[in-house]
Amino acid sequence: MTVEKEGLSTAESLRKARTYGKFRCHNPTCMERIQPEKGKKTAKCPTCGMEYRVHWVNPNLPRIRGPVWDVNRKLAEAKLKEMGVK
Amino acid sequence: MPLDRKIAYIDLTTGDIQTKPIPLDVRKKFLGGRGLDAYLLYNHTEKGCDPLGPKNTLMVSGGILTATCASATARTQIMANSPLTGLLGSANMGGFFAPEMAWAGFHHLVIKGKAKHPVYIYIHNGEIEIRDARDIWGKPVTDAQWAIRDDLGDQEVKSCVCGPAGENLVRFANVMTGIKNSGGRSGMGCVMGSKNLKGVAVRGTMDIKIARPTEALEYNKRFIDQIVSAKVNQTQGVLGTPFIWGATNSWGGIRCRNFQYNQCEYADDIEPERIDEICEETMGPYHMTGCFGCQVHCRAQYKIPEGPYAGVYDEGPEYTSQGAFGGETDTPRAITVLTGNHLVDKFGMDNLETGSLISWAMELYELGIITSKETDGLDLRFGNDDAVIEMIERICYRKGWLGDALADGGIAASEKIGKHSFDYLIQVKGMSNLHSDERATPALALNIATGSRGSDHLRSRPAIDLYHLPEEVLRKIYGNPVSYDGPLSSEHTEYIGKPWQVFWQENCYMGVDCLGICKYHTTFLGATLPNFEDWSKVIYYNTGLEMTPEEIWEVARRCNMIERLFNLREGLTRDDLKKGDMLNHRYFDEPCRRGAIDVVGKMIDKKKFIKMIDEFYEHKGLDQKGVPKPETLEVLGLENEPSHLV
Repeated sequence: MTVEKEGLSTAESLRKARTYGKFRCHNPTCMERIQPEKGKKTAKCPTCGMEYRVHWVNPNLPRIRGPVWDVNRKLAEAKLKEMGVK
Repeated sequence: MPLDRKIAYIDLTTGDIQTKPIPLDVRKKFLGGRGLDAYLLYNHTEKGCDPLGPKNTLMVSGGILTATCASATARTQIMANSPLTGLLGSANMGGFFAPEMAWAGFHHLVIKGKAKHPVYIYIHNGEIEIRDARDIWGKPVTDAQWAIRDDLGDQEVKSCVCGPAGENLVRFANVMTGIKNSGGRSGMGCVMGSKNLKGVAVRGTMDIKIARPTEALEYNKRFIDQIVSAKVNQTQGVLGTPFIWGATNSWGGIRCRNFQYNQCEYADDIEPERIDEICEETMGPYHMTGCFGCQVHCRAQYKIPEGPYAGVYDEGPEYTSQGAFGGETDTPRAITVLTGNHLVDKFGMDNLETGSLISWAMELYELGIITSKETDGLDLRFGNDDAVIEMIERICYRKGWLGDALADGGIAASEKIGKHSFDYLIQVKGMSNLHSDERATPALALNIATGSRGSDHLRSRPAIDLYHLPEEVLRKIYGNPVSYDGPLSSEHTEYIGKPWQVFWQENCYMGVDCLGICKYHTTFLGATLPNFEDWSKVIYYNTGLEMTPEEIWEVARRCNMIERLFNLREGLTRDDLKKGDMLNHRYFDEPCRRGAIDVVGKMIDKKKFIKMIDEFYEHKGLDQKGVPKPETLEVLGLENEPSHLV
């Protein structure tokens, strides 16, 4: 067999696909990329309206800390009502 | 050479010890670690052996790359017939044990029999002895390890032990090393306890000759750069694994109140950022640490900030403890999570199983299926923090009717409780589901249903399915090292193409477990992390063994098939709710009520789910009953098992 000593593996070649400064909306059929303003503590999805609290792991790496509870709870309750789920 | 590490057969009944080399053809077929353990388990246990009897065989091992120049080769594998499920028992833990065992000359231990009194095994530079552990028996996990060091007069000794839970034959007791590194799930600590084996201690200074040291180091630099530059690992290095629970709870993918809700609302006090604050307040700014040879450093250190255990040091909590003692029991308070985490570490008990069974009992209590008679007066309603902490201790020491019943695992407890209690037990193959809720994620549902050691996220979970990766990226990942041109979908609420993803991940995780590398260094949480192609090079540079990516894939398939053969031999049948590849009815009947807008209302479509299992079986080469086809066994070279090569 030949062990390839040069060249990038698939995992390495995918590295260029990494994005920074953004995260995806957590709503599964939305998944819009959201770019929070640097240092901001909340972000709203422009597509589906869900709102998130933001934590900055480092100045270039934001993550969703969690939902803005009251906002997203209302959205979920409205959806449940619309579906007729008790 | 890594390949000259040996295998030791230790009979605790007779005291007989034999050591043997591992033949190269065996290495090429099973590599090492979990894969070779599966072969040894299938070959060295009799059908239907009592998991708590002397004929059960306990394997302890490192991977083929353990303690080499490869990165994060810290993982120790443990395997036996499970006293929790009666099927495959298998655990995997980080820390420093397996590398030390490799330096002491061994990659695999095969432990049989039962000692007349408590003992521990000591391995030192090729020598093995069985030593008296009567003075160590009864000690909690960390104390036991220090007692072994004192007994040997060597503070550098590494050991893995069972705690009081293992001694008390709690069916989901762990094997533990260090403060919190847990060989959890499926009760391997219980098997240790049943053999009167308190632990295994190792100390080694034997060289491991690297085949091509310059290339191994150079390639490892590349490997490390790929790992530490990934966003997921940068996050883990700051927040540890709690970030996983936090992210999952955010969209509604965790279990709350057993299985009544899929999100723990207003859980700010147990979010990773809050846990991180507590770690910093109690330990200072540099409170992250790591396992042998790892650069990610995902393990937090903390002291319990208040309450009866104030000031006590521990590590973690991992995302599993957040789920177990925060979300499932609806006690989203940091003090409960940190204290619960400490107690299971101290007792050597599986956090996921413990939290799941307590939350199940809480639902039964609120439904009136069990009452204060069974709880000996304990108010077991959801949200009762004190009850959660009390139940952890009751289970470990089998105190009270309920503590004793739960210590035997969910299925045995449901048989004692009766009254439809089984309907509320969220488990697969007798092992409780982790804290996640897979109703909105069919791929993850398929993964837990078909996991070889029971409901499990570490056997085949395509976690990157949640990232909405473009199809061309999915094709690059899932089309290597063997081609796949079937359907794939970026939508994680879909059923299309998921069986292949689960099949691919099953082989990926088996591969990494054969190598002895941590899963955070492969395609688990990060889509751009190393896998088969990269491993081919790492194996070659470190061991000299030439394996193509395709050959490693075939090894992984073979090892997964051996695990399947073991489970089938021990009674696995496809649709059996207690011993099969099937989910609790609530996945199909009860919709999600919380979480992101489009998660609300989701449940698993049973018809589509069954079709996914059919496809998954097809990929694996199984028939529609889940049994390997003869031609599959032939292709994998397993047609003559058990073959007793080692």
